[in-house]
Amino acid sequence: MSLLQEVWQAVKAIGTGMATVHKRVYEEPPTEFYPYVLPDLPPVSVQSLALVENEDGSERCIVCLQCERACPAQVITIERHRNPEGKGFLIDRFDIDLANCMYCAACVEACPVSSIVTIQDFEMSTYDLHTLKADIDFLHEQARRSRQWYSPKFGVEIRTEDGRIQKAPPEMQPGGLAELLKPAEEEVDS
Amino acid sequence: MSYIPIPEDKHFRIKRIGYDPGRSRPWLERLVYSLYVFAFWGFVVATYAGVPALFDWLGWDSGWGYVAMRATQVVMLFLLSAVIALMLILALRKYLGKVQERYGPMHYGPAGGIQTVFDALKLLGKEDFVPAAADWLTFRLAPAVTFVSSFAIFAVVPFASGWTLAETNVGLIYLIAVSTLSAYGVLLGGVSSGNKWALIGALRAGAQMVSYEIPLALVFLAVAVWSGSLSLGEIVDSQMGVWNVVPLFIPFVLYVIASLAELKHIPFDFPEAESELIAGYNVEYSGMSFAFFFLAEFVELFLLPALIVVFFFGGWHGPLFGLEPGTLAAGALQSLYFTIKTAVWVWVFLWIRATLPRYRDDQLMEFAWKAMIPLALFGLVLAAYMRLIWR
Amino acid sequence: MSTISLEPVPGRTDEMVVNMGPQHPATHGVLRVVIGLEGERITRAVPHIGYLHRNHEKIEEARSYTQVIPYTDRMDYVSGTQNELPVVLAVEDLLGIEVPERAKQIRTIFFELFRIASHLVWMGTAMLDLGAITPFLYTFWDREIILGIVEKTAGARMLPNYYTLGGVRRDLHPDFFKDVADFLDHLERRMPDYEHLVLENPIVHARTKGVGVLPKERAIARGVSGPVLRASGVAYDVRKAFPYDAYPDVEFEIPTSPDGDTYARFWVRFQEIYQSCKIIRQLLEKTPKVGPYKGKAPARLRVSGERYRAVENSRGELGVYVVGDGTDKPYRIKHRGAAFGNLQVIPDLFIGAKFSDAIAILSSLDPVFGEIDR
Repeated sequence: MSLLQEVWQAVKAIGTGMATVHKRVYEEPPTEFYPYVLPDLPPVSVQSLALVENEDGSERCIVCLQCERACPAQVITIERHRNPEGKGFLIDRFDIDLANCMYCAACVEACPVSSIVTIQDFEMSTYDLHTLKADIDFLHEQARRSRQWYSPKFGVEIRTEDGRIQKAPPEMQPGGLAELLKPAEEEVDS
Repeated sequence: MSYIPIPEDKHFRIKRIGYDPGRSRPWLERLVYSLYVFAFWGFVVATYAGVPALFDWLGWDSGWGYVAMRATQVVMLFLLSAVIALMLILALRKYLGKVQERYGPMHYGPAGGIQTVFDALKLLGKEDFVPAAADWLTFRLAPAVTFVSSFAIFAVVPFASGWTLAETNVGLIYLIAVSTLSAYGVLLGGVSSGNKWALIGALRAGAQMVSYEIPLALVFLAVAVWSGSLSLGEIVDSQMGVWNVVPLFIPFVLYVIASLAELKHIPFDFPEAESELIAGYNVEYSGMSFAFFFLAEFVELFLLPALIVVFFFGGWHGPLFGLEPGTLAAGALQSLYFTIKTAVWVWVFLWIRATLPRYRDDQLMEFAWKAMIPLALFGLVLAAYMRLIWR
Repeated sequence: MSTISLEPVPGRTDEMVVNMGPQHPATHGVLRVVIGLEGERITRAVPHIGYLHRNHEKIEEARSYTQVIPYTDRMDYVSGTQNELPVVLAVEDLLGIEVPERAKQIRTIFFELFRIASHLVWMGTAMLDLGAITPFLYTFWDREIILGIVEKTAGARMLPNYYTLGGVRRDLHPDFFKDVADFLDHLERRMPDYEHLVLENPIVHARTKGVGVLPKERAIARGVSGPVLRASGVAYDVRKAFPYDAYPDVEFEIPTSPDGDTYARFWVRFQEIYQSCKIIRQLLEKTPKVGPYKGKAPARLRVSGERYRAVENSRGELGVYVVGDGTDKPYRIKHRGAAFGNLQVIPDLFIGAKFSDAIAILSSLDPVFGEIDR
């Protein structure tokens, strides 16, 4: 008798397994249709790096070399000279070897002025490995092409339709919960 | 200056050949795959009714004309088996996609309909070499043996009343003999590959297929005893009233399990355990030789469900809506019923493939020898007894 | 050249020496096992590792402690931030850094999320080894949801580089709590499906029950840890024995099984997923939505002293021994890979088993070679 019971248990278990699998036939798959539909990545996501310029075209980077120091993979190479008029430094060379980059965003964390940022361009591919060494013009161009980026100092910034840079609303900021909850707290207080 | 050329538009789009599935269109998928089933049906009608009618019209009825007609039918069946493999590979991939919460092939052809053509072209383009450690002649012949043994089953499958390639009254014995040959192909292929993994796979395959032939043969005997004939056409005819699955339920269950084992299908796909032996006995094959093993497997994936339908589900029986049996229209309708029933059973096999893991080989053997053979003998005795009483 | 190798014994024709090579779909990475087979039964087994050795420990000698953290991510690449925690804890101990309560809770939530992610990968690949092709796709979809949640907060999916000395690098995304709660509901709806497909399947029972039994004493002697150890009956979990982060404040159980066979290991990992869900739910209640996420860490790191800290990885006890020499770069970091200890039992378990049992056993030991070879 127990043999029959075992057989029945086994058949029932296989049947439930098959029903579980069959259920999925009626559900819509969650597959995204890349490359015809691009995924909407969060601005914090480090898919590539870029150097942001100010709106008037001047350089945000103060050439403090903190990103070069912070990088674990040592892919940032910066050369600078003193500014002949005024304070600070000017950039001679700012190369990032995007082939060796670990995409850890340590440089982004280290930057004090929100010049080097994370952008979401994950579709850079090339036939020649040596062209993956990005120079400063490429990095500026990447920032100009991007819609949104992130760095710790200014948070998430977006580029509006007419090309202006502005700080993104709290829903897009990591930690934006603090901003979103503020009115509620003030109401409670008062 | 920038090293990397920046494309004009904002993002780089990949241009693909073929259809842009920017969204999924379920109605298109259903349309395309029903079209495939109907195309298959049309091919069957053309082979079994069209070719004799053509030769009749040409007047080449007897003697060499008859031989020519049968030869044309065989060639068309060969093409049909290629089409079957094409459809079934695609059906497998799309069905697995559906069940696994993804889409199957989507790019070549509407809803991925032409994908297998490109797969076949790819296989043709591969280098078809014989490893240095392999035995050249056997290595080359093994896929042919496997394919022939699967393809030869077509000769006795009745698609409709009178629509059989070779009307014999010993169809069942022919069937047993021919399907056993496939074990040879697998063994020869694996052993001659000069590769230890292929050897392990081939020995497992041989042992498995030989063990499962016995319950298979016993089930065939039970069906033959119940129907009173060894000819497949008559077995189908005898199911006019009630389908064989009702009186012969135990042999039916055993036949399904034994078919899965003959097909080396999950849960018995030990010989080609993909995650253990990579491809088992056909690991050294590439290009067209591999395509023949593949073709053989998918042709059998069609033929064994077809045999389940023939033996247990009434073959081509179905409501005729007043048509005269024996005419072309009736034959076409009956072959449509046959096609649909076979499609249902192929779907069940694919469903099993998607769900279950595989058994270990000694568990397989234990199951065959200790469980299935006694049950099959019991089913045989029961069938004989029932025939005695009820017929 | 390795001195441990398996030579065919001259004169014996019944034993076949096969190489289950580094390129194999079922070895979960690059493991090479040289197996002596008599028919289907394994008589000798010699594992070879080192195919994924990437010099972690030497590289880390030339990087500062914050730069070491992205490198540790790459060890057990399936578990994401779990690898970062031992180094972070050790250096925090040596420097005396205070970690705010909320940061500890955030770290623990991520830790448990990655435990679920790692066990989902294990489940998919274990079933793939056994032959079922469907659960793999289901578990990877669930894992995609977790990786999406992690990406919104931490920036990267698999290798997030999110923990840092004193807490975490950036604050949570506003949607975090809702996303995680939704994910847990989704997972709890899916778990019965996984039970039907994996735990209750009679074929899985036939393949795993009684296979690869690891007795308790042997497990302890070989340095096994994690679910493998708990499936052999030893109730040792670093989260209970040497608690860290927010674990003292949450209630959870340690699933243990007395059997020690492969099915027990499957079962223990399943139960761990449930326990992780429980922990995350408690922490979602407890974690304040706003607050500090990082404590004060000194700008110039001067670390001296030695420290060993261990955490409970998805695979076992992942430990790190940090030796500081007063500068901001470690003198030596030694990682104790969890799966490395688990692999020690391969000769014990393989010998005497059939070949396909070996595959099932290996999948239940769940090695990840980034951690083993480093």
